[in-house]
Amino acid sequence: MKKNYFKWLVFMFFSITTVLAQENSISGVVTDTTGEPLIGVNIIEKGTDNGTQTDFDGNFTLNVDNEKTIIFSFIGYISVERKISDSNTSYNVQLQEDASKLEEVVVTGYSRRNKTVQTSAVVSISASEIAELTPSTSIDNLIQGKAAGVQVTAANGKPGEGAFVRIRGVGSLSAGASSPLYIVDGSVVREQDLGTISNQDIENLSVLKDAATTARYGSRGANGVVVITTKNGSRSKDAEIRFSSRFGYSERIQPNFDIMNASQKMQYEAELYSLGVSAASNLPGVTTLPGSLERQFLLDYQTDWQDLMLKDGYIQSNNVSMSGGMENMDYYFSVGYDKNAGIIDQLDGFERINTRLNLNFDAKDWLKVGINVGYSRSTSDEPRDRNNVQNPFRAMYDYNAYETEFELDENGIPILDENGNPIYTPTHTTFNVRGALLSEPAFEIKNNFLSSVDAEIMFSDNFSYGFNTSINALNQRREFYSKPGGILDSIIGDPDNPGNKFDDGDYLFDMTMSNRLNYNYLSDTHNLNVLGLFEYNYNENNAYNLRSIGFPSELLTTQINAAQVTSASTLKNVLTLVSYGLFADYDFEQKYLASASVRYDGSSNFGRDTRWGLFYSGSLGWNIAKEDFFNVDKINDLKLRASYGTVGNRNGISRYAAQDNVSFGSYPGGSATIPSNIGNPELKWETTATTNIGLEFNLFNRRIRGVADYFERNTTDLLFAIPTSDEAGVGSIFGNLGEIQNKGFELSLQGDIVRNNNWKWTLGGNIFFLDHEIVELPDGEDVIPDNAFNILFREGAMINEHYLVRYAGVDPNNGAPLFYGADNEVYRAGDLPEGENRVLQGKSTIADKEGGFFTDLNYKGWGLRADFVFKSGNWINNFVRSNLNSDGINIDDNQALSAFNYWQQPGDTNVQPSPVYRNEANSVNSDRFLEKGDYIRMRNITFSYSFPSQLLDKIPFNSMRLYVQGQNLLTFTEFYGDPEVGISSGETINFANTVAPGEATLYSYPNTKSVNFGIDISF
Amino acid sequence: MKNIYKIFIPILIFAGLFLSCDDELNQLPYDEFATENAYVTAQDFENGLRGVYSALTSGGLYGSSDAGSLLSAPDILADNVTLSQRGRFSKRTLHDYEYNSNSTLGGTYSDAYALIFRANQILYYVQNFEGESKNNVIAEAKALRALAHFNLVTFFGKIPTQSGDANSSLGVAYVQEPDPNIEPSRLSVSESYNKILDDLLDAKSKINPSNPVGRMNQDAVNVLLSRVYLYMGEWQNSIDAANQVDYQIASRDNVVGVWEDTNQDGLIFYIPNVDPILGNSIGVTWSQGSMTSLIPEYVTSFQLNNLFAEDDIRKEAYTFEGLSGGNAYNGIKKLFGRPGQTNGEVDYKIFRAAEVYLNKAEAYYNLGNESSARSALDELRNRRYLNPPNGETGIDLRDAIRLERRLEFAFEYQRFFDLKRWGLSVNRTNAGDQADGSGTPSDVLNLSSGSTLFQLPLSQQSLDVNPNLQQNPGY
Repeated sequence: MKKNYFKWLVFMFFSITTVLAQENSISGVVTDTTGEPLIGVNIIEKGTDNGTQTDFDGNFTLNVDNEKTIIFSFIGYISVERKISDSNTSYNVQLQEDASKLEEVVVTGYSRRNKTVQTSAVVSISASEIAELTPSTSIDNLIQGKAAGVQVTAANGKPGEGAFVRIRGVGSLSAGASSPLYIVDGSVVREQDLGTISNQDIENLSVLKDAATTARYGSRGANGVVVITTKNGSRSKDAEIRFSSRFGYSERIQPNFDIMNASQKMQYEAELYSLGVSAASNLPGVTTLPGSLERQFLLDYQTDWQDLMLKDGYIQSNNVSMSGGMENMDYYFSVGYDKNAGIIDQLDGFERINTRLNLNFDAKDWLKVGINVGYSRSTSDEPRDRNNVQNPFRAMYDYNAYETEFELDENGIPILDENGNPIYTPTHTTFNVRGALLSEPAFEIKNNFLSSVDAEIMFSDNFSYGFNTSINALNQRREFYSKPGGILDSIIGDPDNPGNKFDDGDYLFDMTMSNRLNYNYLSDTHNLNVLGLFEYNYNENNAYNLRSIGFPSELLTTQINAAQVTSASTLKNVLTLVSYGLFADYDFEQKYLASASVRYDGSSNFGRDTRWGLFYSGSLGWNIAKEDFFNVDKINDLKLRASYGTVGNRNGISRYAAQDNVSFGSYPGGSATIPSNIGNPELKWETTATTNIGLEFNLFNRRIRGVADYFERNTTDLLFAIPTSDEAGVGSIFGNLGEIQNKGFELSLQGDIVRNNNWKWTLGGNIFFLDHEIVELPDGEDVIPDNAFNILFREGAMINEHYLVRYAGVDPNNGAPLFYGADNEVYRAGDLPEGENRVLQGKSTIADKEGGFFTDLNYKGWGLRADFVFKSGNWINNFVRSNLNSDGINIDDNQALSAFNYWQQPGDTNVQPSPVYRNEANSVNSDRFLEKGDYIRMRNITFSYSFPSQLLDKIPFNSMRLYVQGQNLLTFTEFYGDPEVGISSGETINFANTVAPGEATLYSYPNTKSVNFGIDISF
Repeated sequence: MKNIYKIFIPILIFAGLFLSCDDELNQLPYDEFATENAYVTAQDFENGLRGVYSALTSGGLYGSSDAGSLLSAPDILADNVTLSQRGRFSKRTLHDYEYNSNSTLGGTYSDAYALIFRANQILYYVQNFEGESKNNVIAEAKALRALAHFNLVTFFGKIPTQSGDANSSLGVAYVQEPDPNIEPSRLSVSESYNKILDDLLDAKSKINPSNPVGRMNQDAVNVLLSRVYLYMGEWQNSIDAANQVDYQIASRDNVVGVWEDTNQDGLIFYIPNVDPILGNSIGVTWSQGSMTSLIPEYVTSFQLNNLFAEDDIRKEAYTFEGLSGGNAYNGIKKLFGRPGQTNGEVDYKIFRAAEVYLNKAEAYYNLGNESSARSALDELRNRRYLNPPNGETGIDLRDAIRLERRLEFAFEYQRFFDLKRWGLSVNRTNAGDQADGSGTPSDVLNLSSGSTLFQLPLSQQSLDVNPNLQQNPGY
């Protein structure tokens, strides 16, 4: 009753003042503290949407009633309020920079802290930086070269595919357990699903590297945390509409080697046949004579398979967003569309549509509510990524140039089938992938729903309680169709039931509910924040698959049309996590900083008595430059910080690994019991302890900015599938095994070389030096991991070292390949000493130096920016090169031109082995094709122009930027092929299972380069 | 008032979650079942046995693997087939004897031990089971365990009759416990065979005279026993075991149908292979495609093809002439498909009655009992030829027995082992892969009888994970 009465009074008061109010035209100039005019400052009548913005000289005019209050607000500055009086029409205002806002905000998960009082090694990448690197459709690719200590290996060049991100080395020896934890607005997102999120929506991406912050994620932060927040609108600001669009094309990065054309291959076949390679006997280089009509026919109709198989793809991206806010609410809304056609001729590539709505409002004076909802749907063609000619990227190397796409008659004209279509040749491989790309379509659709709802209740100025529910629901479906009468169907199909269709899908649901109790104490000198956390995470996977045969028409693709279902099943599994946490941050006059955290986590996939883990951290910081005694003009900021803490990992094991389980198959007569897991009831958390010491500095009026960090990470109780003897008959058993260590130094530097009114030139870069070692393995025994080719783990060795026999070159006397025995003597293959001759040579798949550098030049509205990434010290087993230089083993496949360089006469050195010894060369698993993976690549070059205010005045836009951008246009490497190797062959070892990214090349989707034209407009 | 709500809400939420969450950590699988509950009832043990049998269909055993398996390796390693230039050159390292520790029948090795683990798991849990099927459960598990070890020792070890030193040479590790942590070393050949015999004799005494289709019964155990004794050179035992098999050889009229699954005449142990229960295209191991557009991996060797007499029904049942790229090839028909089909989906035939008579013929011959040998041989020949050859004596009789074994079990998991145990070399002819003997011959034409290549190498991977394992000589 009392309240209503009050409202009524307020209404009366406003009515009266409205009547009394008189409209007044006011004007003025808004400047910063140096007197420079500020452009685009919002001036709004408080409580209304009446407002304007300053022009390029800082001027504004506004009609406003007397006695009203107007607010001057501008990002990065402290807002100012002025009351209008009829005696004054001129309002010149000076805005002060808001030090706390200007400072980089670091999102550390459960809280935001500004960088000054941050005690952890964190790298923050802002929306504007991300915007400059847009052509990548995946977020993780963007991080490369941007953050010291972060190693990024693109999975492959497939549109929409992500990257392997490793923060400060490899923290686990098991597959899929070394990826960082990705948190998008509070939801956990898998590394391979980051492509479902539009990078246009990202406000901030923070990479948490040391335990001071990662320990707050206790259970899952062992490999670092990447916290991604999406954009919000600004309060009391008129809607801003942004439109971004770009268009471009992409193509394969040309390999730095050549393969044989028809005449070269036939010459090679003849040469090898004369050397006794009998498999060449039925090949045209032997069966046709040079100069003969048959030979000429093959030459006349030869095929450039790479040319035929590949195309220039196009890239397209459009994004519209609207953001703004009232006094007590703000909003951000966006719609985006991305398309990347990829480079396989006959396929469509990747397509994504995404929408997002972020809304924050003050529901009551004591209750704040925030809602972030994003939805995206992406569709991607799924060409076979396997190590045979069903993969177009293998086929284009294997098919010989003298083979044709279609069957030809004697005049070279394609022969037609009864329907009038040309007939695909089987090629020597019996499989024509050109036809199969059409007859065996496969695609994947991902529907991703991300939502986060947050409510915060203020008990008092000091106490608050927050409740957050974040949901990530991913619904994905893959369809593989073998059309009736298609290439595969005619090989393995059932004539009575032509065609087959395989559908499988997953519904992945991840929900995190967190309760935060927050205490905040702020005084002039002390600043304390304490957070109590209780969190529950529930993760459920559901999957189905079914297969049918017998399709009446190739146009029918749903299984309801099929004659017979041949298999169908559904799967389900659940993983849960319960966490309790207590975190505290304190600073004294921003000089002395301290943080601490404790977290207690229980996970359902460990043994019943070993599932709880305690993780903690402590960190200290000292802002030396803020001390009174420190008085060096040249040094603006100087901060020393140190941290120590422990973090856990539970990935890399199956969800029920602690339990003895069987599964059931079928066998004539009924169910068949199949032992599926040998349980380990003592399975527990893998724990990483990180020590970090860092120094941050800004010099010469902040023209030079730098951060240096040294760290040591020790991971113990590694989770691992420990192989048992083959005789045990059970494969491997999950256990906690041994210890690994990563040590490293990171340095990141930026300098404004030129900084004046018209010119700005910034140079910057970062580098990461990594040292890693396997400290301890159980019983000291070597371990050969699954999901790798030739990796061996051994105590004292580096992580992911190649384990191969050393190739000793060619015997100059006879052309035979030579190898080193374990005794370091040189042998022929058959004479190698009995026992083990493979060795570890300190050649790991992991780069020991990695980083990036950039140059950014701005003159008035013109901008020229180039970003480079580099990697060094990693070794790649180049299987593709091996197949293309097979010494005659693969004589029926096309070969590289370099295959001609074989031993021919005594004294030949620097040659490949004589094909006479092809079996000998092939019988030893050697490092002959193990190569350094070093490279420098120009990831991005952008030339842009932002329209000046004078021009914009005449058009209805607030800002407009045009740019042309190139990606991967330059590469410097000695590697044979493209050095950016992640996945070898996705169907041999898939993304999630890869233990050693970049171990080997095996025909996965090649990387592309692209050129884009773009425009960004806001109004 | 309001402040009280403000405090109540979080307290309620906190309390509610605290109470419910700890239970949420006790998760049990949905797609699997706790092992201790999986071997309790009689039905459980039936399911368990079928689980062991299903291991027989894995890629390294009687399934089809591009790396080679029991299904194809014994012929590819011998003289019954020729590598086709029209295929994918699968298993070429086997055919060309280029195998080494990095490229060997590693799948066969690990798949066999996976089967053995399943059998041992049953034998462990059955100790606490007192149902009436207990004896038969033990018997089938032991028979399968013996079969898997036998397949291993024939590939990776010598065969007792192969050479004088065979019995003392390296056999295989014989695993009898479901212990995931074992790192056993290899027994000698004679120790390995004795363990196999122990299991088979126990199985024979306990197994049901008949069991459901797709499972071994007493006859099947006796066939295997007869073969094991034959390999050991224990001729009379081989005959005795064979004599206990009460099964007729498929009649001549039924032979073609046996391989198209239209009848099961003479099949003692076979596994039905029909969608959706198994439905595996095992025949792709020999060829893909149709008869007129064939993609043969291997073809019937010209040598073998000429050994089939015109009135031998097996020529029609086992081989066919197919077209590929305009040329004719002698395709392998045993696994080609059911009538009208070319998908290679046919039943797995493991033991047939014909073997009983061939084992007997060979054993009697070795005992010097030529007339019994001849009559056992004629039992088979009368059901294969219109005008069967007959009346051989001495070496001719021995060769006739060997020839008939080669013809009857062509493409059927025996040839390499037969040559091996007879101490013979592999001798391929120089004929090419095409039907008329033209085309490309095999790269390697001979493997001499003393070669260490008769014993396949253990894979490097197996050696890496078990330090007690010893590699065969020559690798």
